Order: sequence, then C-alpha cells, then structure tokens
Amino acid sequence: MSLSLRPSAAAPSDPALLTLAQAGLAIREGVLSAREAAEACLARIARLQPRLNAFIAIEPEAALAAADAADAALAAGEVRGLLHGVPLAHKDMFYEAGRISTCGSKICGETVATTSSTALARIKAAGTVRLGSLHMVEFAYGPTGHNVHFGPARNPWNPEHVTGGSSSGSGAAVAARLTYAALGSDTGGSIRMPAHFCGVSGLKTTVGLVSRFGAMPLSFSLDTIGPLARTIEDCAILLQLMAGADPLDPTTSAAPVPDYLAAAEGDLKGVVIGIPDAFYVDDLDAEVARVLDETIATLKRAGARIVTVALPDQSQLSGASQIVLNCEASAFHKSWLLSRPQDYGAQVKARLENGFGIPAVSYLEALRWRGPALAAHLEAVAGVDAVLAPTAPMPAPTIAETDVGGSPDAEAMIQRITRFTRPVNYLGLPTASLPCGFTRAGLPVGLQLIGRPFAEATLVRIGAAFQRETDFHEQMPEEP
Amino acid sequence: MSRPLTAEEAGAIAAAAGLALKAEDAARLARAISPGLAAFAPIAGTLPLDLEPATFLKVQRPAEPVPDQEDPQ
Repeated sequence: MSLSLRPSAAAPSDPALLTLAQAGLAIREGVLSAREAAEACLARIARLQPRLNAFIAIEPEAALAAADAADAALAAGEVRGLLHGVPLAHKDMFYEAGRISTCGSKICGETVATTSSTALARIKAAGTVRLGSLHMVEFAYGPTGHNVHFGPARNPWNPEHVTGGSSSGSGAAVAARLTYAALGSDTGGSIRMPAHFCGVSGLKTTVGLVSRFGAMPLSFSLDTIGPLARTIEDCAILLQLMAGADPLDPTTSAAPVPDYLAAAEGDLKGVVIGIPDAFYVDDLDAEVARVLDETIATLKRAGARIVTVALPDQSQLSGASQIVLNCEASAFHKSWLLSRPQDYGAQVKARLENGFGIPAVSYLEALRWRGPALAAHLEAVAGVDAVLAPTAPMPAPTIAETDVGGSPDAEAMIQRITRFTRPVNYLGLPTASLPCGFTRAGLPVGLQLIGRPFAEATLVRIGAAFQRETDFHEQMPEEP
Repeated sequence: MSRPLTAEEAGAIAAAAGLALKAEDAARLARAISPGLAAFAPIAGTLPLDLEPATFLKVQRPAEPVPDQEDPQ
C-alpha cells in the first residue's frame, strides 16, 4: 500500500487544507508535525464552530497531548501506521470504552461506553489523533441535520441551509476543513446526503464489508459504516483500514479485502456507466439535472462508455426499505420509547413510533424479498460497472423550510429528500457520492455512483478518475 | 397484508405491540407508513414458500465458501 502527494498539489499555507493522504505523508516524512496539523485543525474549529455547529465535543488539550505523543514516537523511529499523528473527528456514535458517545441524543448523554467500535479502533490503530466528536441527527434517524438537543448543524456553503444527515457534522466538518476526514453511517442515505449537500466525497459501503460492532445501531439489516472526506482517494484510505472480517460482527464478509488505493490509480478506459431511464431522472431540480448532464459528458470525455439501464421498480424497493427501517428502529428503541418518551425530539419520537404500526408479516415479507430484489437488480445492470444517479433531487434546502419537527407532514418531507438513497440501502449496495457541480446560488451538487456488491474498488477507480478530470472536490466554502 | 392502513388499524397494531397512541398520533402514524406499504403492496403476498431472508446473502456473496456443516452421522 502506498500513498503519494499528487505532483499538482501545491502545499497550502494552512496545513488543515491538505488532503488526508497528503497530511499522512507529510507527518510521516517529517515535513509537518502532528502538533502543527492538530493546531491547524483546532484553529479552524475555534473560528468556525460557532457558525457551523459541526462538533458536539471539542477536545483541544487531549488532541494536542496526543499529537505531541505522536511526534515523540516518530522522533524515536516509531510509525504507528498510515495515519500516524493525523487529527480526525467522527460522528458521535462510534463507541470508545471509557468515553461517552451521545448518539446525538439526551438519552445516551451520560452513558459511558464499555466496548469500542471495531471500525474506529482499526482507524485509531493507524495512529490517528482524536479532535473531538461530530454532530449528528438524534440516533441517526433523519436526513436533514436538525437536532433539538444540540441545535442544527449548518452548511459551510451557506449556514442558512441544512448539511444533510444523519452524518451532519461529518459533512460540515470535512467541507469546512475542520477534520481531514470523518466516519459516518448510512442506513437510508446518511453518508451520501451530507456528502451531496456539503460538497464532499462519501462512500456508503456494502452491507457486510465494515464491522458494525460498537457502532450505534438503527437497523441491523440496513446499517453501514463509511467515510466522508475531500477526495474519494481519502475515503479509500479509511476504507482500507476498516474493511474486512470481524469476529465481533458475524455479519461481516470473510472475503479478502481488495487494494482500494491501487484502484484509485485506474482510469476510465473500458468502464461502462449506466444511466437509469426512469425514477432517478424524474422530477429533478433543473440545476441537479444540468449537473447530471455535465457529469455524463465529462465521464464520456474521460473514456467511459455510457449506456442506458432499465432498473427494476425503485418505488417498490423504497417501500420495502422504509418498512424494514421503521420496524427495526422501533424494535431497538422500544424500551426507551416506553420509559423515556419525553427525552426524544418530536420528529425522532414520531418516526420511532411508526414501526409499531406495521404488521409483522409485512416486515418479514420485506426481508424475504431482499434476495430476489438484489438478483433482479444485478441482472438489470449486467455488464455495467456502476450506475450514475443524482444523490437527491434537489440541492440543500434551508434549515427553516425543513424545520417541521414531528408534524404530520414531516415524513413526506423526509421521504422526498431521501427518494434516491433508500433503494440502495435495501439492496445493500456500495455507493459513492461525489461533488459534481454547483448551483448558481453556490450550493454543491453531488451524484451517486451505485456499484455491485463489494465492488467499492470499482467506485474508487471511477471516482478518482473523475476527480482527476474535475476540481469540484477542491472547492472550499468561503469564510465570513 | 401490505396496504395503506387506517388510523384505527395502525393504532390497534401499535397497541398490540405495546405502544398506546392518541387518535391524532395514530392518524399521523398511518399517514407516515402507508406510502411505504402501498409501494410494497405489489410484492406482498407473491413470494414463493421456500424463500427466506438469508437468500439475500447467497445473492450478495455467491463466491464465499459455505461454512462446514457437521456430519449428521
């Protein structure tokens, strides 16, 4: 496994503006100290947190102490791993024994974890330094970034707009260069939505590729863990560290983990990309439609072959996905919902109640259909390396217009925003959301590349080749 | 059964599952879950007898070895 600074990447004056790959290499080679990297991130956090609310907890003293320890270790010839001394923060739902993970909630705000997330532990073992914990939607159950306990996270491109959720802080913090990368989770679009709305790269992984042990559950059938970062190559670095079998999570695949970083060197020659002929191209915001057309043209120019694909009925997949998510989330939360209902925000409480109204037979039918539904999808995309589709039909809406709490219209709004992400969760497929353009108002637009099961390497290959042709991922929100 | 539910039906199912709801909350719940149930309705009731959820893993991971099974003898 090798990392390299791109020849075209000019060293920025602010170390926080490096990519994850660049920061890791710079620290290992002694060009940048871990303390300098941590100080750069902490300075930006101090400046921008009041505007963005991207963090739930900031731990400057501990971060600097850990950075100093990393520098001392390096001086003694000890390199802990690929990300030695690199400061990171993650969605506040990955348990670390001895620490509190709020899960964006009041209920978990005083519970000290007794176990540690395998995904987080594998990243920490590569030498990273903890900056704090990132904002998230309460119990990861919402796509906008609202949170009644911690206030809404705000979009770095325009703080009047939502970040997307539920990995709201991960999207905002990466976009604003407060952390080099961040972990998120995706059960109905929670990595892809903030990646799209905040203009960063996000990688929703195949169900079973990354261990979910020690991560807050929402739906045991649909939950996935994945990275958000500035580039897909940076996502590949975190995925390389996390992926693979875990005896603590028996749902993980035992298959060997591919070399995702090598995949990032590939080009688009011979790659076939499918464009759906329906559903994902219906009722699009005009600017999202424009970005889709421009992205298709770019991929063609770079050597990809574009074909039209007729996917099975996505509404049925979406309905099944909603049934499974509602029932499993309600089952997880039943005890607290009955004993502490007043401690939930209104929207999350209402959504958690939804699963109680679904007949058990409907839930089990939705689970039983998953295999044939995936088989039908794979047959429809035979010969296609990835399907390209908008991540959402619209750019980021405002915080005000989506602040609907637990009103009767809340679910319809949520379903509208997550229309293009839910089918993928039902099928358990890997999907990358990449920044592909901007609206005239300056809001980012992301598109998703939907792959075949465990074909993350193909998505990294296509995404990295696309990012070599474009500079949307290098754009950064202006500071006030 | 997979079809849009009335508020009364949804409220009764929730109550049987241990969650007592006010009428207006049952109405909100029915409104929230009915689109998903309606979308899934064409599939519901059509699945073959010998289809179980683990079929998903067989489709997703066809190349993975099946764990050794103990000899029943």
